[in-house]
Order: sequence, then C-alpha cells, then structure tokens
Amino acid sequence: MIEFMFALAIGILFGIGVFQLLRRDLIKAAIGFAILFSAINLFFVAAGAFEGEFAPYLSNVQAGRSVSDPLVQAFILTAIVVSFGSFSLLLGIVNIISQRYDTVDSNDVTQLKH
Amino acid sequence: MTDNPLLLGALATPLIGAILALLSARSNRRQRAIGVAAGLIAWIFAAGLLAQVHEFGVQTYALGSWQPPYGIVLVADALGALFAFMVTTIMVAGLLYTYHCHDKCMTYPTFVPLFLLMEVGLVGAMLTGDLFTLFISMELMVLASVSLTAISDDQFGLEAALKYILISSMGTLFLLLGIAAMYATFGTLNMAEIAQTLLTGERPFLAPAAALMLLCAFLLKSAVFPFHFWQPDFHTTAPTPISAMLSSIVVKVGVYGIFRLVTLLFIEEAFLLERLLGVLGVIGIVFGSLGALRTYNAKRMLAYSTFAQIGFILVGIGWGGTLALVGAIVYAFNHAFIKSALLMLMGVVASYTKIKTADFVHVRGLGTKLPPLLSWLVLLGGLALAGVPPLNGFISKLALIQGGVDNGDWVNLIIVVAAGILTLMYMIRAWQQIFQQAPLPSTTETKPVGDSMAAPLLLIAICLLLGTVFAEPLLQLISETVRQMMDPQIYIAGVGLSNGS
Repeated sequence: MIEFMFALAIGILFGIGVFQLLRRDLIKAAIGFAILFSAINLFFVAAGAFEGEFAPYLSNVQAGRSVSDPLVQAFILTAIVVSFGSFSLLLGIVNIISQRYDTVDSNDVTQLKH
Repeated sequence: MTDNPLLLGALATPLIGAILALLSARSNRRQRAIGVAAGLIAWIFAAGLLAQVHEFGVQTYALGSWQPPYGIVLVADALGALFAFMVTTIMVAGLLYTYHCHDKCMTYPTFVPLFLLMEVGLVGAMLTGDLFTLFISMELMVLASVSLTAISDDQFGLEAALKYILISSMGTLFLLLGIAAMYATFGTLNMAEIAQTLLTGERPFLAPAAALMLLCAFLLKSAVFPFHFWQPDFHTTAPTPISAMLSSIVVKVGVYGIFRLVTLLFIEEAFLLERLLGVLGVIGIVFGSLGALRTYNAKRMLAYSTFAQIGFILVGIGWGGTLALVGAIVYAFNHAFIKSALLMLMGVVASYTKIKTADFVHVRGLGTKLPPLLSWLVLLGGLALAGVPPLNGFISKLALIQGGVDNGDWVNLIIVVAAGILTLMYMIRAWQQIFQQAPLPSTTETKPVGDSMAAPLLLIAICLLLGTVFAEPLLQLISETVRQMMDPQIYIAGVGLSNGS
C-alpha cells in the first residue's frame, strides 16, 4: 500500500512540477523546477527504499536478514545539493531579470528576438 | 588493478586552481596567471594519460580506494582519454585568451574560478566511470557556463542564460530520471557493470526508457535538432573565451555521451538509435548551414555553424561501422580546434568595435584598420571549417566521406558534400564583409587596442599541423581508439570489477 501511495505522490509531484515549469511567470517556473527535482529524488529513493528490512547500520545486521540499500540515500544527498545549487542560481537570475526588465513574465523578456 | 594518479591529477588540478584563484581574488592579474598555470598542468596530465592509455590500455583510479562497483571510479579508456586531451588543450587556449582580454567581465573575481570549474565538469564527464558522476559533472559544467554567460558584457547575456538554465535544467532532470531508472533496473550505476549486464542479452523492463531519457539529455547538451533553439542565443552572447569553449568542447560532452550509449551500453539497440541520430544530423546540417547563411552577426553565424557541424558528427555516428565512427571522432576532434579558433578571432574583431559587437553592420569593413595577420587567420579558419586541403578540416571531411562511401548511403553523402559548399559560402561571405568591403559610417570609430591574437594563432597553428604533419598519426590514433571502442570487453575488463557480478 505504501508503495502505491509513494508512486502516486511521485506522479502528482511530477505533474505539478511540469505544469509549473511551463508557466509564464518565471518565479512559478523556478518553483516548478524545485518540485520536479523533488519528484525525481523521490523516484530515486523508491528505487532502493522498499527492498530490505533494516536500516543499513553495520551493527544491527542480523544473519539472513536483508538491509535496505544505503547507496540511493547517498545519491539523493548529492542530488539535493545539486538541485539546491541550480535552484538558487535560477532564482538569482530571475531576480536580476526582474530588476532589469521590470517584469517576471517570460512573454515580456524578449529582447533577444530581433 | 592499480590506481593511476594522472587521472586524479587531470581532474583535481583545475579544481585546486579554482580554489587558489578564489583565494587570490584581490589580484586579477594573479588570478589569470593561476588560470593559465592550472590549465597547462591539467593539459600535461591529460597528455600523459593519453600516452599511457595507448601504451598500457585502460587506466583507472578508484576514488578513496573504494573499489568498483561500490565506489566512484575514474576510467580513462582510449575514447575518454582522447576527449579529455582535446578538452584540456582547448581550455589552455581559452585561459590564454582570458589573460589578454579587455572585457569587463574578466575583471570580476569569480570569472577565472568559474572558468576552471567548467573545466572540472568537462574533464570529469569525460573521465568518469559511473553515470551519477557524469550527472554531477554535467551539472557543474552547466552551472558554471550559465553564470559565466549571465555576467557577460553583452546586455542580452542574462536573458540567454535564463533561457539556457531553464532548458538545460529540464535536460539535467531527465538525465537524473534516466539514471534513477538505470539504478532501479540494474542496481548499479557503474558503466562497466551495466554494460556487462546488457551484453548478456538481458533487457530489464525500464532499460529502453532509461536509454531514451539519457539520449534526450545528451542531445540537449549538444543542441541537436529538436532541442537546439537555445544554442545560437547562448553561444552568441557569452564572453568570447566562454563562447569559444561552449561551441567547441561543451557541445562535445553530449557527443561523448552518445558514443558511450551506442558503443558501450546499448550495442544491440544501437542500430535503432543510429537511424534516429542520422536523421537528426541531416536536419541539423541543412538548417544549421542555411541559418548561418542568413544571420546578421558573425558570432551567431558560427553558433549556427556549430549546429550544422554537430550534424556532421551525428551523421557519422548514424552510418555506424568502423570507418564512419573514425570519421565522426576525427570530425569531433578537429571541429573543436577550428571552431574555438574562429570564435576567438571573431571576438578579437569585435573587441576593436566601440560597443563590442560582432554584428555585420558594425564590423563591416573594419578589416582595413586591423592587423593584417587577423585577416589571414580568419581566412585560414574559414577554409579549415569548410574542409579545404592544407588544413585539418579536410582530413575530417575525408574521413567522414570515407565512412559514408563504405556505408553506401549516397543520399546523405550528397547532403554532406553540398553542405561543405554552404560552409565555404558563409565563411567567405563573413570574411569578405569584415576584411574586404568598404567600411560603413557606423564602423568608422574603432578602439586602438583589441584582444591579443596569441590564443587563436596557437589554435590555427595546431589546425595546420593536424592537417599536414600530424594528420597520419591522428588518423592512426583514432582508428586504434575506434578498434577499442568496438569491443566493449576491453572497457569492462579494464575497469576490473571486484566481485564480477
């Protein structure tokens, strides 16, 4: 049951993320990017979270019992750092855009069109 | 399995250089010197690595002594070492250009560190042995290049950076999604182990979807047809040395990923992927060349030209077979030198204008006031790009056409040859406009000093050498590379998986 709920949550987050990313408002697009990244991180966790019975500490591994995969969590930590970096850079660029163009509507940020 | 410190050196030198450059942020001159020094040392490491790989086979370095498939392993096989050598060579030229550049953005204390971080990302992507590190390296490269373009002197740089980061983040997200799908199916991200599983003929449920997601991410990084629209803006507005890097080696990361997909991981499906790549490549060639013919800006023309040249490489991959792959790699290798040289030359031309632009209306007839050497260099670069004999562009065209003849695909062959004529047309047109025509009233005012020509001169000299003296060794080197690529067992055995599962 929990696996189904997890899949559903990932799907809903993915949908919201893609929808927000395609909005005209650049700040909403940036937030959509963050939501999308969370959805993918959750997908990554799901790849190894439901396998074992124990948390992967060396001390509590009993013979014949399985532990959950620790590697996905290491991956996720790195991916979260990366997502944080790109999200803040994106917000920084949107911030300067809003000052220079006086708008965050992507339809008005069109000086490159000649 | 022994650790080869050269691998770590090639990756860590630019990183240490970036940190040192940040620490000496007070002195801009010292920062630039650190940049050139770090680039040179990384180049020495990469050159040594290339020599060692061809002498002793695949070299590896297990980071933190965690053996593969559990730890992160750096792998240099023939392809990776060749691409890392190409990247570091071009990077030295780029950093050299920065040393004598008058752009305002070069004086920012974060310019050189970001430049070196871009090199870390590039070298890391070429030398990594697992997919997750590939993702990290690509993201590092993207973030560095976005920041560098956003601070460009060009007022449109910020907008182009926003465009690129939105699109490229989407691409990176799909790369991560594909990697997660890979992990869910294979339980590992080590490329050698995945390749081993796929070689047994096993095809897990999610594997084709993961392959397609990886392919899309790589196509986006290379600016191939359906994902190309950000590229001309982004490559035009970046500061000169950055746009030279973006258009020559950053787009090659995607090409490198595609090589890995079709020759190491998904060999059985490679036929289908190659068909798709061939079609996308032809679209790129036609529309890139036509786009380059009708642009209003010399740098933008070269950006469109990159779109076309990546098309040539993809057509080479699409033909498949040993000869065509040799053609594609020779093309990728030579194009990096030609395109970075040409973009730097156009940057030098633009640096003489009052408002620093490469628009044809502003640079037309400017050549009468520029050093005559510049005119010759631009002409040589243009001829190299079009594939005229004494330069290396001819060698790459020849190798590619050999692959096409070997394949018997006459339709695409005709398109490739005809596009070569288009290339000649737009390059000669640009050269004439800048150096032959009478100046317009808008170009009468020029700055007395522009950027130094040392770096593009160096690159054009390399182009000449690669087209004449080193043509045969280069072809031999790349034939050997392709021979090793065609046998994925060499890579898998070279990584030396410790548990063999």
